[in-house]
Amino acid sequence: MTGKAKTDSPGSSGPTVGGTLSRREFVTGLGGVGIGAVLGGMFLGTVLLPDKVFAIQASSGYLLVDTKKCAGCQSCMMACSLTHHGETNQSLSRIQITQDPFAKFPDDIEIAQCRQCAYPSCVAACPTGAMHADPKTGVRTVDESKCIGCERCVNACPFTPSRALWNFEEKHAQKCDLCEGAKFWDEVGGPEGKRACEEVCPMGAIKFTKDLPQQSATGYETDLRTGTAWDTLGFGGALKSGGHLG
Amino acid sequence: MPVKLLFDSATWLVWLAPFAGILAAGVTKRQDPRIEGDRVLRHDTAAIVEHWTHGIATAVLLVSGITLGVLFVPALVGGGQPVWVAMNIHFVAVVVFLFGTFYYGANTVLALKRLREHLPTSDALTYTKRHYGLLLGFKKFTMPPERKYFESEKMAFILAAVATITIIVTGLLKVAAHGINVPAGLMTVVTPVHDVATLVMLAFILPHILFAAVLPGSGPILRSMFTGHVSLEYAKHEHAGWVAELEQVDASADRSTGDSDDDQAVATNKNAA
Repeated sequence: MTGKAKTDSPGSSGPTVGGTLSRREFVTGLGGVGIGAVLGGMFLGTVLLPDKVFAIQASSGYLLVDTKKCAGCQSCMMACSLTHHGETNQSLSRIQITQDPFAKFPDDIEIAQCRQCAYPSCVAACPTGAMHADPKTGVRTVDESKCIGCERCVNACPFTPSRALWNFEEKHAQKCDLCEGAKFWDEVGGPEGKRACEEVCPMGAIKFTKDLPQQSATGYETDLRTGTAWDTLGFGGALKSGGHLG
Repeated sequence: MPVKLLFDSATWLVWLAPFAGILAAGVTKRQDPRIEGDRVLRHDTAAIVEHWTHGIATAVLLVSGITLGVLFVPALVGGGQPVWVAMNIHFVAVVVFLFGTFYYGANTVLALKRLREHLPTSDALTYTKRHYGLLLGFKKFTMPPERKYFESEKMAFILAAVATITIIVTGLLKVAAHGINVPAGLMTVVTPVHDVATLVMLAFILPHILFAAVLPGSGPILRSMFTGHVSLEYAKHEHAGWVAELEQVDASADRSTGDSDDDQAVATNKNAA
């Protein structure tokens, strides 16, 4: 038992591939070429290609809300969850009503609906293209099967609460799709159809428009009261009441 | 300010790591197992590097991957920070895992005998029964003349190899989704397959750690994964078939060395004449 050292030397030719190239030479070459290709591709991508341009089509519809009309009944949340998921679960609703019992009217209730932003931060933040604008309608929506659960969109939404939500049951992001994907609803949803929240709101606090709403830094400038009975109560119109951002 | 997602900002490392592993194998000088006095070289440096890069990365991938799964459960998500940290840890482990696995794969391509010694033989079921029967105290069993790897290990190798290949293929598709538009239908299959392969890998690695590092008597084999050597006594007891092979190789090497010495002597005499 002399223990002679046998080595598989990198210098040895070893078995040949195609008669001229040893297997080791082939493997070494493959590794070298692969590394060169990755680094070269990175270099070319950085130096030669222009900067990415983020361009996205406008949504063909928007939800307007007027929280001064909202009674906080949460019917819209139940309808949203029911039509999209087949169950009434407030955590699965893509529209959220938040209430502050210590605040005074009209700051005590907020309807947090997705504004289908012209520059959607959620779409820009998504690393896999799961959050995207529907090519037909422009509605910002989620391709659930592509979502990797990084929650970038939830964080990227400039509004609080985030309009991009986490579906904790199916483990993916979700957001208002204007009912395009409301598979548990026997009505046609989307910009050309109906919206469940709008349909069920008993106060008429949610309306749909195809025109890009006037928007300030904090949201749409919405008045759904002028011309209604709210006028007689002294709450009708943006100028009289100071308006409201919905 | 959100933490950078390395899967996004450093994706190139994922594509570089396999080629780095292949290149490293191409320039690696391997050593075959051999008897050195009262000890046996079981693992050369390359084998140790393969094992620990693959093994440690697998463990980190499992922990960070399962952590991600748990983080996805709560209804009330936070700002996303814990998810990003777990994903970045996953990323680092992915790079190490790919390097180690492709390093092993390329080394195996260069010496297919290393693959053959990992594949189960027709003795697999009989030897496994005798081996574990002995461990569990069935006196009628005697230690079978196992070769370098136990037959039970060889069967587990198949499981680990299938899980590893599945995890790599599906994982690379998940990474590719960061750069190209991978069809949604494909992703619908890829994600659950990646998850199931993770469970298979977990089913492999937990018993592997138990048998190779936790159970009493696993000391020699665990130490050999750092030093490369086991004692000859241990090898003869646990791997009698392997020692016999090594002795046979040594004997034939001795014969060939003797032959060449004789040849040299003849040549020298001719020159002298």
